[in-house]
Amino acid sequence: MRPDRRDLIGASLVELQPIQCDRDLLLRSLEETLSERQEEQLTEHLSECYACQRELERLAADQAEWSKVSETLRRAAQSSDSFDASRRTPPHDETEPRLGEHETDFAVDFLEPSREAKALGRFGDIEILGVIGRGAMGIVLKGFQAELNRPVAVKVLAPHLASSGAARQRFAREARATAAIVHPHVMPILSVHSSGRLPYLVMPYVGCESLQHYLDRNGPLAPIEVVRIGVQAARGLAAAHAQGLVHRDVKPANILMEKGGGRVMLTDFGLARAADDASLTRTGVIAGTPQYMSPEQSRGEAIDARSDLFSLGSVLYALCAGRPPFRAETCYGVLRRITDTEPRPLREVNPEVPLWLEAVIGRLHAKDPAARFATASETADLFEQCLAHMQQPALFSLPACAAQLAKSRQPTVDNTSSEQRSHPSNMSVPLRKRRWFAAIAALWLVGALAASLFAWSFFGSRTDSVRIGTMPNRSPPVLPKSESSATQWDGAAIQIDDALRTSDVLHAKVEELWPAAPLPAPGETEALVPSAPNLLFNSEQESTK
Amino acid sequence: MQPPDTRHSLIARLQNPANEMAWAEFVAAYEPFLSHLVRRHGAASQHVPDVTQQVLAAIAHSVERWRDDGSPASFRRWMTRVARNVAIKYLAREWREVTGQGGSDFCNLLMNVPDADAEQSQSYEFELILWAAEKVRAEFRESSWKAFWGTVIEGRPVQALAEELNVTPGSIYMSRSRIMARIRAEVRELND
Ligand SMILES: [Zn+2]
Repeated sequence: MRPDRRDLIGASLVELQPIQCDRDLLLRSLEETLSERQEEQLTEHLSECYACQRELERLAADQAEWSKVSETLRRAAQSSDSFDASRRTPPHDETEPRLGEHETDFAVDFLEPSREAKALGRFGDIEILGVIGRGAMGIVLKGFQAELNRPVAVKVLAPHLASSGAARQRFAREARATAAIVHPHVMPILSVHSSGRLPYLVMPYVGCESLQHYLDRNGPLAPIEVVRIGVQAARGLAAAHAQGLVHRDVKPANILMEKGGGRVMLTDFGLARAADDASLTRTGVIAGTPQYMSPEQSRGEAIDARSDLFSLGSVLYALCAGRPPFRAETCYGVLRRITDTEPRPLREVNPEVPLWLEAVIGRLHAKDPAARFATASETADLFEQCLAHMQQPALFSLPACAAQLAKSRQPTVDNTSSEQRSHPSNMSVPLRKRRWFAAIAALWLVGALAASLFAWSFFGSRTDSVRIGTMPNRSPPVLPKSESSATQWDGAAIQIDDALRTSDVLHAKVEELWPAAPLPAPGETEALVPSAPNLLFNSEQESTK
Repeated sequence: MQPPDTRHSLIARLQNPANEMAWAEFVAAYEPFLSHLVRRHGAASQHVPDVTQQVLAAIAHSVERWRDDGSPASFRRWMTRVARNVAIKYLAREWREVTGQGGSDFCNLLMNVPDADAEQSQSYEFELILWAAEKVRAEFRESSWKAFWGTVIEGRPVQALAEELNVTPGSIYMSRSRIMARIRAEVRELND
């Protein structure tokens, strides 16, 4: 079992040697498609090599472009009002509501008064006691269903998503489908309410935390724990897939673990998709963190259940390594890594990981869906046998499949060469880039169309405005970077501190709002047109005359 | 990186009112930049989305009548002018509301700013780069942006920034070139 390990050490020693000047490497560094290791090497080389420094700059832009950009930014910085290097966020962020306030406001807006003294308000038949957490998708409230005498968690779709017809429909459809999955490793949905102004769903309030939370607090898990989680998560996925449902957003934040390290449950089925529909429209950027996406997903292609298996591989990798497998400076870079490179071998990051586990995760990480395990239940079976082996090696041998994978893993320890194989070097960069942009543009367009459909139904009665209506994707409050990457709702995760902090605000706002502000009629999309509803049409009517 | 005629054909399709697809494409491509322009013209940030809507509405309304005058960047200059006019109208209204006075003086004041075509296209380019830089900045780590800003805009030595940010000179070279390449890509996306 040891020789591979020695090879590995040998290999990484060699790689610390200075590398040669390599134009292709420079090009790929601009595209952010280098592996982390290559990037380290190149950075080191760049520190010393004048020729490569110049070449990299030439590849980034020509001389005229460098000076035009730097001149422009210098001029802008000098004129008092605009661009300032020391500001963290673009200037327009400053007076816009922070996400937190915004989300709190919307929750308050949609609560109804409650007779319960300690409740903030009522949502249908549920007394709302506080806020559990919030994310880009919406807000999670803690509630109590008096009739059934049980605590519940209520997930409410954010108004900017609820205002997109497509996102709404998908929310409802997927939520209903999820509600149909009854399985110990899927967080149950007790009820779905999709007809109101804000769709919401009700789940049991369970004492649990997300794997992301756990990972942040405790770092990497022991391999045996990872395999145990692998079995359960794969079983949960298998149950969903059996219903024809693809999760699409398998990541540590969407896997909940019962307190005390017990049962593992998947949550948030398909909601990520609902988010995409609306947010792609606005920004052209994929919502949230793409780190756990599959290659086919990051290319914007059609996906099936095997996409979830890739993401599961990334989750298990992260649990072993303490960090996600594909990381880069920008979202774009992450997507390129996912499609083009292999992650750093797990055992290099955490030597405690057995070779066979690295190999099994590697199989989940196959770029080609057909090269992964065929189904989630096959994956679960395999992990189950592996777990048995880990618990009682004398009684259960390692499953043949895992042993075989481990064996075939050995010769390809040097992953630099495998990366290069996946990079046909004769393909010119502009071409590759263009193809990439085309994919993003296509996603974008789909979003825009979805929005225009909605707009049509919203503005439908005013023929003259239909065309204008195809673009009312009002820019949402620009999310601070950290917020927008936290798409997770964190389910019933424990964020009570947060809840306590916000509930005071909520209380104040509730009292302010209720007497004065009657709830708008269902047809009014208050989320769309909050501040100056008449501006658009006023000016339109003026100019039509 | 764009085939040279993409935007031209988009504009042509835009002039056909039945082409909703072209419209969606146009909005997706230009709305962020237009909202940047509106903001730069001084609209209060809570009104930026509404004013941007008005700009889009105005473009939708008059794009059929727009004719290419054959000069470079004809469409972009026209679009920039529409944005400017709408913004001025909005500012005049604001002015009226705040001061309770008629907005015409204020409007005249703004209208008197020279509107030569040369300056328009220069200002378009200026704003475009600014917009692209703001957008790209949000994609990168703060330290990368500082490396770019410090060495490229402020012209400070790489070594000094490397020490200040506690990174290797190599990573300064890499960050700043990446940022530059992204800004260039964004600018080219919106240029004919
Ligand atoms: Zn070199």
